[in-house]
Amino acid sequence: MKRVCIALGTAAVLAGCAGPSPYVTPVEDRSSVRSSAPPAPGSVLPVEENAPGVSVQPVEDVPVFRQQRTQEQGASTYTPPSAVESPLQPASTASQNAAVVALLDSARQDTSSGDLRAAQNRLERALRIAPRDPQVYYQLADVQRRLGQFMQAEQVALKGVNVAGGQPVQLRRLWSLVALIRSEAGDSAGARQAQQEAGRY
Amino acid sequence: MSKKRNGRRKATAKSTSWLRRALLLLLKLSLLLLVVAAAGLIYLDAQIRAKFEGKRWALPTKVYARPLELYAGQTLSADDLKLELKGLGYKSVANARTPGTVHWAGPRLDLVTRGFPFPDGSEASQQLKLEFSGAGLNRIRDADGRDVALVRLEPMLIGGVYPQDNEDRDLIRLEDAPATLPMALVAVEDRDYYHHFGISPKGIARAMWVNLRAGRFVQGGSTLTQQLIKNFYLTSDRTLARKLMEMPMAVLLDLHYSKDEILEAYLNEVYLGQAGSRAIHGFGLASQYYFGRPVGELGLPEVALLAGLVKGPSFYDPRRNPERALARRNLVLKLLYEQDKIGEQEYNAAIAEPLGVIAQRSLHKGAYPAYLDLVKRQLREEYREEDLSSEGLRVFTALDPLAQSRAEAALGKTLGQLEKRYGKSATNLETSMVVTDPQTAEILAIVGGRDTRYQGFNRALDALRPIGSLVKPAIYLTALERGFTLASPLEDEPVQLKLPNGDVWSPDNFDRRSHGVIPLHRSLALSYNQSTVRLGLEVGVDRVIDMLHRLGVSRELKPYPSLLLGAQALSPLEVAGVYQTLAANGFQMPLRAIRSVTDAEGGELSRYPFKLRQQVKPELIHLIQYAMQEVGREGTARYAYSVLPGNLNLAGKTGTSNDQRDSWFAGFTGDRLAVVWIGRDDNSRLPFTGSGGALRAWTEFMRTEQPEPFFAARPEGVEYVWVDEQTGLLSDQRCEGSRQLPFITGTAPQRSVDCGQRRPSNNPLDWFRSWFR
Repeated sequence: MKRVCIALGTAAVLAGCAGPSPYVTPVEDRSSVRSSAPPAPGSVLPVEENAPGVSVQPVEDVPVFRQQRTQEQGASTYTPPSAVESPLQPASTASQNAAVVALLDSARQDTSSGDLRAAQNRLERALRIAPRDPQVYYQLADVQRRLGQFMQAEQVALKGVNVAGGQPVQLRRLWSLVALIRSEAGDSAGARQAQQEAGRY
Repeated sequence: MSKKRNGRRKATAKSTSWLRRALLLLLKLSLLLLVVAAAGLIYLDAQIRAKFEGKRWALPTKVYARPLELYAGQTLSADDLKLELKGLGYKSVANARTPGTVHWAGPRLDLVTRGFPFPDGSEASQQLKLEFSGAGLNRIRDADGRDVALVRLEPMLIGGVYPQDNEDRDLIRLEDAPATLPMALVAVEDRDYYHHFGISPKGIARAMWVNLRAGRFVQGGSTLTQQLIKNFYLTSDRTLARKLMEMPMAVLLDLHYSKDEILEAYLNEVYLGQAGSRAIHGFGLASQYYFGRPVGELGLPEVALLAGLVKGPSFYDPRRNPERALARRNLVLKLLYEQDKIGEQEYNAAIAEPLGVIAQRSLHKGAYPAYLDLVKRQLREEYREEDLSSEGLRVFTALDPLAQSRAEAALGKTLGQLEKRYGKSATNLETSMVVTDPQTAEILAIVGGRDTRYQGFNRALDALRPIGSLVKPAIYLTALERGFTLASPLEDEPVQLKLPNGDVWSPDNFDRRSHGVIPLHRSLALSYNQSTVRLGLEVGVDRVIDMLHRLGVSRELKPYPSLLLGAQALSPLEVAGVYQTLAANGFQMPLRAIRSVTDAEGGELSRYPFKLRQQVKPELIHLIQYAMQEVGREGTARYAYSVLPGNLNLAGKTGTSNDQRDSWFAGFTGDRLAVVWIGRDDNSRLPFTGSGGALRAWTEFMRTEQPEPFFAARPEGVEYVWVDEQTGLLSDQRCEGSRQLPFITGTAPQRSVDCGQRRPSNNPLDWFRSWFR
């Protein structure tokens, strides 16, 4: 326990020397095992097989050294599992499809003339053709809201949010719609929360 | 009719009392008979009218596949369209002008669609010009050269729910039939039809004359009206009583209804063939059965063949007795020519034509027993059996015949290869498969067994088999939700568990080795058992079960530790439901086979809309999707990329049950999810694992299906961080042994390895800070 205190103190002093550093208390995030409840600073942890006698989480781990990659190694042909780094995705191309545009247009007409069932049918057709187009989810959720199917409407709008990653305009509209659906369904707290989300974009 | 008797009165001079009494009795009897006959007639009349005006036929439920949507920019190959049009019975012609015809010219085609009354609006018949290029359908224009945004082809009829007598028919109106059809029928069956009053004395006389001259029964004198009466109202046994009833009824029918009304009923009633237990009634269905096209599209020779079949559908069966059928057809044509109904040129052209009957397989009924099985089960939950078999309901499903045929072909090919490779130890293999669209949760195809036409045991729905490692994504997802990261080190070391019954359970890895400390993502990709069991026990079997329920399993699951290695048995359809949620970013959607049900007139009875419910945070799903992609890139499903394109980004999991009795693979791409099971009905050991068997079939299916790549967009709450593979510590792109892993923002490891990546800045503070990051 003493060691930990000393180490803590040392670390704090050193951190202070390092100026306005962004890091937080060093000990808390030391554990490389992220379990559901990270161990409190200095708490007793199970003995590691090859960590003889040390029954506390050491503050200073033994540094791990690695070689730097050479150029050839870096230019391997291997494709990592998820090649997608950016949330910006070419999903917007889907809505440019004339077929989907036509379906969305007629669904809009159906909606304004009150034929919500017809609108729903068209939007489900559109969904099969362009399942990654946030606009389809937006209109479908709106039709379900008008039909009073608030729970489904909210879920469809959330799925829209899910596919709209990186498209701020769509995200704002979808979150606003979620807010509207929730407030119509009587969930004012949820509506406020959704409105806040909408405000982020 | 019996009035004549009343006039028979013989008053003679000799009027003895007994004679008078006898006469009186006779008179009374006659009167009684008259009353009875009149009552009988009134009864008959009422019967005739009731049947003719009420519901005439028990109409089977018709089940349709999804209609193929056509639009510019669609990824659809010309070959696929060819297959679809073939299934729909389109005729390839030199000049496409009439509905149901197509003209192919390289990558272009002229097409006249048939149109279809969909529940959400009618699709009109259209003349279209289509252009293919490279990846798919490039352009659609109408006859005037204007671009067309979207066209729906008519849906393929894939089956039905039939009444007990197995009578099947497609109702047609008289105006749907080509004009030559009533003409030919009248010419060959009843040439005085439009002139007689239900029965034809002339016809009877002629028949008698012919029969007398031949010395045997050659020709019957029945009119079309009498034939209809016979089929419609009377039993099929040939008795004199029936014959006697037939005539007055025919006269009554003729009295009440127009010739065209009676003829229309005849067109729909008449028996024209037998497909297994299914009786083909009416010209509408017969046209589909023999030619694969609607009756309105038939030409003269085809019409003549159908008209000729009336006399003996079995005797003149064009598939079994083509010569007889041809002679019969030509006789009908000759009669038409002799009666001046057709000209000489027409006649000569028609008799030169071949029969043109399609192979029986092309009628798509009976081709999808496993899919129809699921559809019928769902229907029976909501409709009564008698309504299903008599109300003429129309059921629109999501079945994709193209995906279905590729699934069947992939399984067939793979099983053949496995048998060849493993010889005797791979006999009697069985299989099943479920294909869905992960975006919409629609079921596109189901294979219920190796014999894809077998109507019995449906393994995709009813074979409950231990899912083996297919359960692992649910365990790892539970762990991620409980705070683990993909880089969390797991211990792959022997584990011993005391079971409630006193047994000790110590699971082994597939390679019978333990692998020490490994990062979590690696443990899933390589499907290690010991680390998985330790992880599962740490997060809790109950929590894993809860996760499985959230992912879509509705059956009760017992919290045994063996569940962690997939001892739980599920059907391929249930597995598809679980993986569906993983593919759809945590939105659980009930799998749907039926889109909507309408009555015979097209009024909507029930619909099954797009439904979903978010069950797991998309950020967590993104992490598990990463690890499931790793299964394909570096893990147990590496085989897939030896065949499939590298940009497919497939995500999935192999599964092998205990003692290697079941070989599974479940996985998805951008727009296709498929679950394959291979095993044996007697549950005996297989000579291959999930990767060696089911994965091969899955891969073969995806190779031919050419799906869209899977595209896992990074949610906002996820960051990609370079970590050291071995230790799970923070690392850098420049350091050896590092890889990029996704983390929920803020959960990436803080401590870093050192490969000098931060030194070039020459700022000692940076180097110093790196110790604390």
